[in-house]
Amino acid sequence: MDLLDEGLVAVVKRDCPTCQLVEPVLADLSRAPGLRVFTQDDPAFPAGVADRRDDTALDASLALDIETVPTLVRFAGGVETGRVVGWSRAQWTELTGVADLGEGLPEHRPGCGSRTLDPDVADELLVRARGGSLRSRRLEISALEDEAEALFDRGFSDGLPVVAPTPARVLRMLDGTSRKPDEVVAVVPPNLVEATVEKVAINAVLAGCRPEYLPVVLAAVEAACTDEFNAHGLLATTWAAGPAIVVNGPVRAEIGMNWAGNALGQGNRANSTIGRALQLVIRNVGGGRPQGVDRAALGNPGKVGFCFAEDEEGSPFEPLAQSRGVPAGRSAVTVFAAEGPRGVVDQISRRPESLARSLALGLRGVVHPKLVRGFDATLVVCPEHARVFADAGWDRARLEAALDEALLLDRAEITRGAGGIDEGVPPGGSDQPLPKFRPGGLMIVHAGGGAGMFSAVIGGWAGGPGGSAPVTREVEPWR
Amino acid sequence: MHDFVALEGRGVVAAFLASSEFVQAADAQARALGYREVPSVFVPHPIQDRTDEEMRALADAALEEVLARVTR
Repeated sequence: MDLLDEGLVAVVKRDCPTCQLVEPVLADLSRAPGLRVFTQDDPAFPAGVADRRDDTALDASLALDIETVPTLVRFAGGVETGRVVGWSRAQWTELTGVADLGEGLPEHRPGCGSRTLDPDVADELLVRARGGSLRSRRLEISALEDEAEALFDRGFSDGLPVVAPTPARVLRMLDGTSRKPDEVVAVVPPNLVEATVEKVAINAVLAGCRPEYLPVVLAAVEAACTDEFNAHGLLATTWAAGPAIVVNGPVRAEIGMNWAGNALGQGNRANSTIGRALQLVIRNVGGGRPQGVDRAALGNPGKVGFCFAEDEEGSPFEPLAQSRGVPAGRSAVTVFAAEGPRGVVDQISRRPESLARSLALGLRGVVHPKLVRGFDATLVVCPEHARVFADAGWDRARLEAALDEALLLDRAEITRGAGGIDEGVPPGGSDQPLPKFRPGGLMIVHAGGGAGMFSAVIGGWAGGPGGSAPVTREVEPWR
Repeated sequence: MHDFVALEGRGVVAAFLASSEFVQAADAQARALGYREVPSVFVPHPIQDRTDEEMRALADAALEEVLARVTR
């Protein structure tokens, strides 16, 4: 690219009216030695300049950090001593020391955007500058292949279209975290493959995430790949559950998550793509696929991705993350095993005791109404139900205690054979009632729209050791 | 399958045992772990609703094959 040590350097492009305006000025200046002109688009432009260099590769423009053309720079002793952006007779005269420049031209005219800032060029430049930091194998897709089809064919998709993880997109995704691309985030089951920050970023691109979601995805991957959460078992089980994510803290609002109406449904990019990114990491890095190690008899639609935020602001309860040890004001994810949610209606109860019993009845159906202590569950309390608890001054612990009490099941009702149903708890043991859930096996979250007295029960999977327990991890701040 | 690999890695002779529904899963996991073939015994599916007696009968019926897999 050869910048000058002494003299003037100009950067121009033909596709800029101001550059065309100063073409004769550059030709005039070129009569004396010491002017070099770099051209961003047309190497034959500007005419009449002796020392004209082709900068269509934009190396000189990048080195000079050009944002506007024309830009005129003076060097002395290899150091920049002055710079003029756009056309200004007074400033050009001062910088060049040549009087009466540009006769007949207006006094000044603003320049145009440098080609280095064109969106299509910016990607290429990003890859040129930082593509070397990426370690993943590059896949070439031929010009005749449709990008989306090619990604389906290569097995990277969960069945829905994915966004092609081009090096530029992956690099932009990596801007969402301060962690290094080659840092190992987790060992991902079932094949126990190390997932680097780069690999997670690639799957976040595939899922459709924005870069600012990446810290949430990283925390979710880390949480899911712990022994306590046991993503391996959750994947391999014939049961329907998959990993779900609840997000707490300031990051919810920063990345525009939904915790209000349709919180568990579609329509919010962060909710939809963060959950999907976690599942794509398990698929594409860990190798966990249906008809492979994923042995779910039925599965559930949430296995495409299931992520939502907690409504902390409107909640009578302490935020979930705080109840699990995360300091207030910090962001965190909690991963838990989840089937699809099912609604529980109660439009009559205004007493918290009555409403708690109602919700407990809904929870009793988890796994089977006659089975106990095997499976965990999550209760999503909607705002209109939460209001009943708030008015009565009930906190999370009070509701948990009331649910536990209402979920002490009479052995006579749940023993094998009772009700004409062979399934149930084995006979024998004491006559004491049995708790539906293991201690800590029921999690309460607050989310949903302001109208509708409909909470939701989300069945889990085998809880505790050998099964899966919810795991909470803090989210690294993204800026 | 990970257990099989871990045991083999410690020099303990092992075989993989599951019900016939898991042939595909076993194959996928074995290949992912670098094994083209793992000495495996598949007992007839189903398993979950078997009585203890039926399970014992399945185990008895599989015993010879299991021994063959770990000794050959």
